[in-house]
Amino acid sequence: MSGSDFLDRRLVVVTGKGGVGKSTVAASLATLAARRGKKVLVAEVDARERVAPMLGGRPSGPVVRQVLPNISTVNVDPRHALEEYALMVVKVRAIYQAVFENRVVRFFLRAVPSLAETLMLGKILHEARSESGGRPRWDLVIVDAPATGHAVQLLGVPKALIDTVPAGPLRRDAEWMQALLTDPAKTSVVLVSLPEEMPVSETVELDAQVRDLLRIPRGPVFVNAMPDERFTPGELERLRGLVETPPPVGPAARAAVLQGGRQERAEEQVARLREALGRPLVTLPLLASERWGRRAVERIADAMEGRI
Amino acid sequence: MGALLGSLADKRIAVVVGSGGVGKTSLSAAIALSRAMDGGRVLVCTIDPARRLASALGLASLGNTEARIPDEAFARAGLAPKGDLHAMMLDVKRTWDDLVARHAPDAATRDRILGNRIYQQVSGALAGSQEYMAMEKLYELSTERDYDLIVLDTPPTTHALDFLEAPDRILDFVGNETARKLFAPAIGAGRFGARLLQVGTGYVAKTLSRFTGSDVLHDVGEFLGQFQGMYDGFKERASAVRTLLTRPEVGFVLVASPSPLSVDEALYFHDHLRAAGMPVAGSVANRVTPDLWPFPGALPGPERLGDALGQAGVAGFEGSQGGDLSTRLLRTLAENQTFAHADARELGRLRRGASGSHVAVPQLEGDVHDLAGLAALAGHL
Repeated sequence: MSGSDFLDRRLVVVTGKGGVGKSTVAASLATLAARRGKKVLVAEVDARERVAPMLGGRPSGPVVRQVLPNISTVNVDPRHALEEYALMVVKVRAIYQAVFENRVVRFFLRAVPSLAETLMLGKILHEARSESGGRPRWDLVIVDAPATGHAVQLLGVPKALIDTVPAGPLRRDAEWMQALLTDPAKTSVVLVSLPEEMPVSETVELDAQVRDLLRIPRGPVFVNAMPDERFTPGELERLRGLVETPPPVGPAARAAVLQGGRQERAEEQVARLREALGRPLVTLPLLASERWGRRAVERIADAMEGRI
Repeated sequence: MGALLGSLADKRIAVVVGSGGVGKTSLSAAIALSRAMDGGRVLVCTIDPARRLASALGLASLGNTEARIPDEAFARAGLAPKGDLHAMMLDVKRTWDDLVARHAPDAATRDRILGNRIYQQVSGALAGSQEYMAMEKLYELSTERDYDLIVLDTPPTTHALDFLEAPDRILDFVGNETARKLFAPAIGAGRFGARLLQVGTGYVAKTLSRFTGSDVLHDVGEFLGQFQGMYDGFKERASAVRTLLTRPEVGFVLVASPSPLSVDEALYFHDHLRAAGMPVAGSVANRVTPDLWPFPGALPGPERLGDALGQAGVAGFEGSQGGDLSTRLLRTLAENQTFAHADARELGRLRRGASGSHVAVPQLEGDVHDLAGLAALAGHL
């Protein structure tokens, strides 16, 4: 998989277990694509917005907003997605308000199988295929998708609808959505993991679900926050004997032993993940920064450069 | 006994809450184990489908019913509990089905509801359904069993309020009069479309069916109709669960990792629990980076460390150069301190913002994967 190929897709979906750094990877991929001259939209899904602030901008809310010269963001939520979609269907705002702003109808819509997911995914995929003046509105749409279970639910919606809903507007939408999601030239799912036991297990399961259940083309798997190999086993052996010595040697030795242990366990987990997935991984460095901001995102994008 | 275990000592129910991936499951098991060691009859109810906890407890797997941790498992870990420890896994769908079975007037109604597509959605995937059922199961266990302590490991919720609001929200819908009138089908007669057009709000239903297809509307109408007779039973029970959670014998335990988002979430949860009159026993900051340089003054320079290493007799490491080693050591120590300071800042926020006792669990070497590991974890609580 050569570098430019991967980001030449129209849609990249980023997912993984909660807390593994999905938003960081999404923001870094966007940064990388923007460096390559692409016009990018990053869509978060009903989330506490993180990508725009990470890139140094204000949260954009439900309306697409430009954060950096080539990067825009949006936070898709079911309510606004519903409004947009419903207005396309019923055309007249007064009818929309009478019908959809009704409290009971709101409850009802929440109970309709996967309606919220359909609307949010529909909005995002609509952006991915929309054109203006004969060319795509976005070169690349990156979805900062929800965590594992919810992401599978979200991405599985079109297929579920095709399987259950009789012919009609909802089904027609489901069909073009599914065609876009499963087109390997246009779409790819990127998984993010951490070099720890639980996230690795979940990534292996998720990868199988994407392959067998969703059948969406799979892209690289990123392992975030990977400690570097800094001390030789011989050094660590000696340093272990020094952790009780007075400062500065004791504390320094202890820090090294902690780092070495973390690195060794991380290495084991990466090996386990690599073996289970049977394809190369892209490891991203553990950064010692107190706050996540644009600088950290740029550094992660640097680490991705040349590897995807 | 640590501060947190101390504030849980007189509790009969501990509810462990926090965002995903912060270690709730292991902490729940450690709390349960500790009380069992002291002679209690304890149950830990988890939602974690990973086999890890089951195998840590010496069980092949966890089911929807309580299993006692065998004595041999304790013996292998060198532990001799005075009480006993039970564990189970919450099955959300099963709990819903049991609840329907409990309240359904007859078997036919029960089967129709269980087979309804809208019911399957509500019981399976509707936001808050897991949280609702976790509370429901807790109520059932606490009223029908005689444990000294039940520890509930809660689902990793994206919206903290789901625990408190989900039952009302879900029940509001299924018991909503207007909804029932709006969607009420001629049950079993298949005259749904005609009936809808008759009601005053006919155009609402008409527009909706253009949107979702009329089958879906039919299912909703049927579901609401069938649920009608059971609504009061459900409502009563949800209100009993809520009352239970405000009793002094209950203690909520907030778990956070020392990261800004996780602490935000814990504090948000704390404030809403307090506002709802639910007792917070304390908070746990999990996986905190240790402060290795709590001394006045900056970190040493590479030369000073190099000299000190020399004095400690380690100037010439085999396969490495002393000067290079001290640079790497210093960098590692400095990074550790960066993480430690960031963690301490978040820990401080958690302590200032949350009531009850506070404990910090340092980053342990590796994952907890056996009873001995859980016992060691309990030592920090």
